[in-house]
Amino acid sequence: MGQCSNFYDEGKINVLNETQLWAIFDGTIVTLEIAIVAIIFGAIFGVVVALGRLSKNKVANVLSWFYIWFFRGTPMLLQLFIIFYAIPIIYLDATGITFTVNPMIAAFVAFSLNATAYLAEIIRAAIESIDGGQMEASKALGMSYRQAMTKIIIPQTYKRLVAPLGNELIMLLKDTSLVSTIALFDLLRTTKTMASATGSWIYYIYAAAIYLFLTTIIQVVFDMMEKKLGIYER
Amino acid sequence: MSMVKLVNVRKSFGDLEVLKGVNLEVQQGEVVCIIGASGSGKSTMLRCLNQLERISDGEIYIEDVLSDKRANNKDLMKIDPATVQSLCTELGMVFQNFNLFPHLTVMDNVTIAPLIVKKTDKKIAETRALDLLSMVGLSEKKDEYPSRLSGGQQQRVAIARALAMDPKIMMFDEPTSALDPELVGEVLATMRQLAEKGMTMLIVTHEIGFAREVADRVIFMDSGVICEEGTPEEVLLNPKEERTKSFLNKIL
Repeated sequence: MGQCSNFYDEGKINVLNETQLWAIFDGTIVTLEIAIVAIIFGAIFGVVVALGRLSKNKVANVLSWFYIWFFRGTPMLLQLFIIFYAIPIIYLDATGITFTVNPMIAAFVAFSLNATAYLAEIIRAAIESIDGGQMEASKALGMSYRQAMTKIIIPQTYKRLVAPLGNELIMLLKDTSLVSTIALFDLLRTTKTMASATGSWIYYIYAAAIYLFLTTIIQVVFDMMEKKLGIYER
Repeated sequence: MSMVKLVNVRKSFGDLEVLKGVNLEVQQGEVVCIIGASGSGKSTMLRCLNQLERISDGEIYIEDVLSDKRANNKDLMKIDPATVQSLCTELGMVFQNFNLFPHLTVMDNVTIAPLIVKKTDKKIAETRALDLLSMVGLSEKKDEYPSRLSGGQQQRVAIARALAMDPKIMMFDEPTSALDPELVGEVLATMRQLAEKGMTMLIVTHEIGFAREVADRVIFMDSGVICEEGTPEEVLLNPKEERTKSFLNKIL
């Protein structure tokens, strides 16, 4: 097996060689990168969109509503296609200049935008679940809306956000497999390619094992975070 | 000096008029207890003073400075928001449900507003907080979270928290109504202590005995107006108005 330089020539050997191992490792990194970038940007912009939804400002309110409406209401795969395929065509028609979107960048953007919509709703619900007396007490003590939100209300949502955030990260991690459609080799596409090339099902088991390994880590870490953040509750 | 003054204050929530022309002036050092059935507008009146609710009509003065002047739910005068904010912080408020910040320790509950609103130095804020906590008898609880305290202890922390902003007037919105009966006494004792120190206080309460003891003036509110006011003896022992009499008969 040592003489083989790439996995297409592997035949039906089930044990991974070094090249395959690295390919799977790289695929796993692609999967992880997209999920982590999306959850971080999603959490940050999710707060902004959630505050927009809660805002008394009509414009902010309507914009946030439409944002969530679009990104939750259309398939993730379609959003990926729009960014990767449609935008270069629109740009070409408008300016006559061709350009291609780096598939990794397209994946980062599409998944971040999509996660923002879901997380915005999760964050909005968490903020609304905090007792109204907290805002009143903050105002009565002279705090501005901004101070009350950042120091009193939002910190109380952290514990309530951990479980849905973990949920969202696990979903994202699995949904990243959609990027195989825009020429990216993520974990699933890498293993599937090996499986087709060799005719062996074992690669699917490897993929399942890695997904489970990653989601288990997420689950354990988020459980720990939830316990730690709830320290002030009896 | 007049600490707060309400002139013809009206407040509606949609079609429901909760305050129907309230006039009230409270002098420095005065302890005013407000009694009345639920829905009579007592709490709303307090909440209008520090603008947790905006009035629909009328004028409000805090320390003789106009803080709100409206008619038909519209501002009649543009008052500088910084002025309004600083006037409203002259009013400390204690709520029926304490509303302590559950994610902060007792110490942080008391220091947070001075730290972020007044930008007080941390050391000074903490020293002051310790003084206030020992005044309410809870200095040994400073590192606990509110969920570890009894209702009475939570309410005393809430009083310390409000005092930390050095208000000139303290408003209490049914401060003992959410407490188990055996915990009412400790909160009333703290309030009595404040009254003795000369704090101007506006107290919405159902504790008639307490009102009789500490109030300089008792106000009976009914359906959005001040129905009767006077010394505790006048209002509580010899009420003139029929509505006052029937209310007192019901609760005593």
